Amino acid sequence: MKKFFDSKNVRSFLRIVLALTIGLTFGFVITLIVSDEPMVAYKAFLFGPLSQLNRIGDWLEESLTLIFLGLAITIVFSAKQFYIGLEGQMILSALATGAVAIYMPAPPIIRVPLAFLAGMVVAVLWALIPALLKAYLGASELVTSLMFNTMALRLFEFLLRTYLQLPNANGIMSERVPEDARLRTFIPNLPFLEETRNAWSKATNVSWMVYVAIGAVLLAYILLYKTKFGYEIRAVGANAKFAKYGGINVKRTIVASILVSGVFSALAGSHLVLAITERIVQGMAFGFGFEGINISILSGNNPLGVPIASLFYGYLRAGSDVMERASDVSRELVFVVQAAVLLLLTAERLLPVVQQVVTTDEEEAAQLEKGSVK
Amino acid sequence: MTLDFVLRGIFSTFFLASVIRICTPIIFPSMGGLVAAAAGVSNMALEGIMLWGAFTGVFVSAYTGNVWLAVLAGCLAGILVALLLAVAHLQFGSDRFLAGLAVNLFSSGGTVFLMYSLIGEKGNTSTLASLSVPNVVIPFIHDIPVLGPILSGHPVFTYIAFFSVWVIYILMYRTRLGVHMRAVGENPAAATTLGINVHRVQYIALAISGFFAALGGMSLSMAYLQMFQREMAAGRGWIGIAAVNLGALRPIPTLIAAMVFGFADALANQLGSLNIPSQLVQSIPYATTVIGLAVYSIQQRRVAIERQKKYASAHYEEAASEAE
Repeated sequence: MKKFFDSKNVRSFLRIVLALTIGLTFGFVITLIVSDEPMVAYKAFLFGPLSQLNRIGDWLEESLTLIFLGLAITIVFSAKQFYIGLEGQMILSALATGAVAIYMPAPPIIRVPLAFLAGMVVAVLWALIPALLKAYLGASELVTSLMFNTMALRLFEFLLRTYLQLPNANGIMSERVPEDARLRTFIPNLPFLEETRNAWSKATNVSWMVYVAIGAVLLAYILLYKTKFGYEIRAVGANAKFAKYGGINVKRTIVASILVSGVFSALAGSHLVLAITERIVQGMAFGFGFEGINISILSGNNPLGVPIASLFYGYLRAGSDVMERASDVSRELVFVVQAAVLLLLTAERLLPVVQQVVTTDEEEAAQLEKGSVK
Repeated sequence: MTLDFVLRGIFSTFFLASVIRICTPIIFPSMGGLVAAAAGVSNMALEGIMLWGAFTGVFVSAYTGNVWLAVLAGCLAGILVALLLAVAHLQFGSDRFLAGLAVNLFSSGGTVFLMYSLIGEKGNTSTLASLSVPNVVIPFIHDIPVLGPILSGHPVFTYIAFFSVWVIYILMYRTRLGVHMRAVGENPAAATTLGINVHRVQYIALAISGFFAALGGMSLSMAYLQMFQREMAAGRGWIGIAAVNLGALRPIPTLIAAMVFGFADALANQLGSLNIPSQLVQSIPYATTVIGLAVYSIQQRRVAIERQKKYASAHYEEAASEAE
């Protein structure tokens, strides 16, 4: 039993569970303080997503977006690069994808892939300047990527207002993505699944991006752990000087890691515009800015952990939405919970301390018991 | 012709005055960031701390009706949030960047969450009758034709901001604490052997940085505007960090960098009235920050290469003379 608790994986798993428990308890305490009906609110928060099919759909839709963002951050964090301009990349690639999907005169079989491609090209190019500045000049990619983020939001608004705005719309938005370019449901068109398929496609927007997400997770895993490129990324992340002596082109690896992560952020943006909002709307990526980091830290920066972490945080996001509609508590509670969990998980010395206290207590208790027996 | 001339004069006076006013919320976080960075604990949560300062100031002023109590509360909030970061980083070994990002997430989510709980709004507090700090009219200077309007009549925060540069300078170069901070920032191990309590100095540095960042936030919500808006810091905390980088950890160069960014901000405001798409114009301060960082990095690189060359040639001579 003791060996079981000593194993590293079990420990880090327990650590995550403990952090999540503390975070959710913290959220509950806050709810108790601010809400007139805390039980209603927290019940909606924790169980809301399961209550209806369309809410289950919301949960899965959120999780899909989070998976792509989490993978993007996992790659840059593996190289110890703090490139966190995902929101900007995401929104610009949503714009590019949406524009191609709406306006390109071509059959959907060509248009949809090209729309995805356009999103990826834009997201990768958008990361180019911060990546080059970091690799070749050493300019803080954290600051530059955030600056580019803000610029991306402005550029997005400008392009949307000037070129894509739907006249007479009540809001800043483009026209809808045509039916044939929207992403269809993930449930295959088989006779015995027809009823489920109809119910799901009516109530939810869970599209075949499910399969793309699974593929992306595997791709990111293989890329990081089974290829030379991934080895170089991790070597640079572990110790850039050492990697350099080992003959790795550190600068090129840094640039490449940031650019490759852009492909995943682009998938998040394309997913958003083709499956969720189904048009280009002002503020469509709002509140996704930090999610990639949350997911990466919760999953231990491991691509295979990303889907689990995403399903969890996607669940909380969907739950917070239900809570806001059902009670007087705002959905921003989820960010507060996530921030608490993030702090707890990055605090290397915090949870081991708790653990130590617990184990020494147990040892003491055991000794006392022995003593009393004697 | 004369009228044109006069108009231009007024225009430029107005513009220079706006530069000085708009600099304020950048100078404060820059100075806060400077103190923390000098002590070797760059504060990556300036942006979030600004939000808490702005938020607390607005709500306390609205509920108590006392501006100065509100400013005090805002500063305390800033210090508390900075100490949260300090505990996470120094006590529990969180990564500096990640802990900073966590605090920022906590701040941008937490302020909106509380705003909604308190007044049922998510965008801003325009429904709330909050107060703003008074403007200061400097006697005599106010009456000087051109200089007066530029230098006088700004919110009190603006004067505190420029004054704080001097305070920081004195703190860093003329006090025991400042020397300790720089020693800790330079080489913590060496500082420890000299008997300096490294953690204590870094705690104090982070608390000071929280204090100044909160002032920066309040200069947005209690002077520049008279309300709190979600995400109202709008990257100024990060621009402050960039200014500290550019200023190479010295107060005056950091001030100059902050003012360059403030100038870009004011320029964006000014051009906003022209027939240029406002969204593109609003990008100017952020683009300026990126360019500033790039230029600084190029220069740093050049200095480093030259130093290396000097070192190499000196050692080459040494080696050559030894060989003889």
